[in-house]
Amino acid sequence: MKIMRKMFLVALVLLVALQMGFANGSSEAKAETLTIWSGYPEMEKFYKQAAERFKETHPNVTVEIVSHPLREFEQKLSATIPSNTVADIIEVSTYANQKFIDAGLMPALSDEVLKFAKADGRYSSFALNNNTTNGVIYGLPLFQGRTALFYNTDMFAEAGLTRAPQTFDEMYQYAKVLAKYDEKGNLTRSGHSLRLSGQGSGVAEKFWFTLYPMGATIIEEGKTPGTYHAAYNNDAGRKALQYYIDAVYKDHWDDQLIKHDTEAFELGQTAMFFRESWVIGDIAAKAPGLNYETAPVPKDARWGRITNVENLYVTKASKNPELAWEFVLSLVDEDNQRWMFENVGWLPCRNDINIADIIERHPQFAAFVYTDPEYEEYGYIPIAAFDEVTTKLAERLVTAFLDSSLNGNSAGIAKTVSDAAAETNEILKRYKLFGE
Amino acid sequence: MNRNNANAITLRRRMNETERKKRIFVYCSILPVIAIFAFVRIIPIFKNFVYSLFESTVVNPMQEFVGLKNFVDLFRDPLFLLSLRNTSIFALFVTVFSVVLAVLLAALLVNQSKLSPLYETLYFLPVITPMVPVAVVWKWIYDPTYGLLNYILSWFGIQPIGWLVYPNTAMVAIIIMSVWKIVGYNMIIFLVGMRDIPETYIEAARIDGASTNQVFWKVIIPLLKPILLFVFVISTINSFNVFTQVFVMTSGAQGAPGNAVRTIVFDIYENGFRYFRTGYAAAEAVVLFAIILLLTFIQFGISGGSGDKKIKIGKGGAN
Repeated sequence: MKIMRKMFLVALVLLVALQMGFANGSSEAKAETLTIWSGYPEMEKFYKQAAERFKETHPNVTVEIVSHPLREFEQKLSATIPSNTVADIIEVSTYANQKFIDAGLMPALSDEVLKFAKADGRYSSFALNNNTTNGVIYGLPLFQGRTALFYNTDMFAEAGLTRAPQTFDEMYQYAKVLAKYDEKGNLTRSGHSLRLSGQGSGVAEKFWFTLYPMGATIIEEGKTPGTYHAAYNNDAGRKALQYYIDAVYKDHWDDQLIKHDTEAFELGQTAMFFRESWVIGDIAAKAPGLNYETAPVPKDARWGRITNVENLYVTKASKNPELAWEFVLSLVDEDNQRWMFENVGWLPCRNDINIADIIERHPQFAAFVYTDPEYEEYGYIPIAAFDEVTTKLAERLVTAFLDSSLNGNSAGIAKTVSDAAAETNEILKRYKLFGE
Repeated sequence: MNRNNANAITLRRRMNETERKKRIFVYCSILPVIAIFAFVRIIPIFKNFVYSLFESTVVNPMQEFVGLKNFVDLFRDPLFLLSLRNTSIFALFVTVFSVVLAVLLAALLVNQSKLSPLYETLYFLPVITPMVPVAVVWKWIYDPTYGLLNYILSWFGIQPIGWLVYPNTAMVAIIIMSVWKIVGYNMIIFLVGMRDIPETYIEAARIDGASTNQVFWKVIIPLLKPILLFVFVISTINSFNVFTQVFVMTSGAQGAPGNAVRTIVFDIYENGFRYFRTGYAAAEAVVLFAIILLLTFIQFGISGGSGDKKIKIGKGGAN
């Protein structure tokens, strides 16, 4: 019995020693897993190829990629960031992440990444400022969602239109000409696909595409820095709503029954619509035969396009933040940024990368990189209240677009705008962010 | 005598000891289940009541004690009042239609035939299908341009209807879909109840000259009272908790107008998980709890407690 016990002990010691030996021997190639979450399913293929490329220099690292539709993704973050169960890396816009930054749940850029981000000419001040809270930069810009006008060239040629509209008035007239109806008067093709329905903040964001050029915006900074108030209860705000109401009821070149957005454009059910550059990749995959062009957003009282910066953040849940930042830096290297632009369609944030040859191959990208001193860029305000402001404005807009009594009713339009602005200000007051 | 007493005392002690051990065993056996139930159900419900009295932030659901302020704000909030109204309309129609239709279907299927299992399966299939894909499919069915429903209606010369576009039709559309989803479950419960009614009751009524209609209304329905109560209560609770179909059918560029079909749980979700107003959302949940509790008591009251206790039916004597 004693011999048996001794043999057992010896075997145990040997086993432990062997395990320790293996562990030491393999410490160089210790398997690491990084997780990355995205709110853009079309970005999955980008992360996959980037992970494969990263594996060439880091054979022990496996990257797990999970993507969800944007709104579901934002909700997933709400549940997982406070509970520290989020992925190592998240790709998200500042406006959606701001509440977590304000709550101290997001780490700032590491020193090395900060140095990279601040290098001369690498990122625009717009992209960096968008990521800055109280002087600290939190995310590394990956791509930007800029808006441009997509238009179907076959439909334009059929209607005798030879160029893209350059003003909102012109675009309205184009839309009237381009709309088609069946014998019963039902719209079978919208002249310009506006966002008229759906939950979340999307309707307000798309309304902003019209609101801003007309001279208003959703909220603007008050006299006291860091405070805000509604900035659309004015002539420009009323004009923007009037534009939508006229489109649906007076001239009926769009309505709620017809398909909308990218789907409508790809199906040939609309002649024009505003969207970001990812649509180019989507059309290439789903409607390769579609003949279309893009153009800068038309002018009105002013000229501008929305730019929404999507950033990469390493989270507090990451067990190996150094490795995670290393992977993040690889995602924004020249090869990966070019691959993303050409294959997914999202415009890189880095300014120091040559993408001219890609634009030459895909001329539809040109409108997204078009610059002009008068062509302004505006974007989401990085405050936690902004999501609620835009979501509640969107809910009111959807109701207004369904209200045919607003047709030719300037008092009704004024009241709708005024009520919505009052609600915006109430939300800002609740967040203690209101200022005249 | 003393010896007998002593034996009796010993026997009683042993029995008490055995009983005590049995009880300990039983309590130990159910303790894990109770612990899990308390952890995932009871404690969160209790915490929800506590949170409803606090102003919250994303990291601290108990940031500041505000007493009943959240409840006062709720009843001044037009979105909450709208969602309360919408949920009540939804619950009323879904409960009534799903119960009435289920009783009728059960009455049609109560007599066993070769095809009965097939019909029962067909009616029950929607119940076991997950809500998200079902809601997505119904969204396609309701599509104004390519939807199956408008296509069928076009055979009769009816113009395309934007089922999910306009507030009045959006609510109707979601009610129709929800009734379709739940009616199979209610039908199976009624079917079990009807098949449990002793044949002798029906035969006796027939011998007394009762018509089929009279048998149904005067014999079957009164005997189904406890089941009717159960189905009404369950359907009401489920209807007040409506969320998934509303969420799916309002999402995307072709989604229904959010406020037209805004329901309480949707509002709770938006305030709690989108705007991080946890305390406010918790107060909404407390109101929802109170409404469901009140309605359940009313339903019990109307049906005279837990059903008609005087009538004993079924082989096991279940009431």
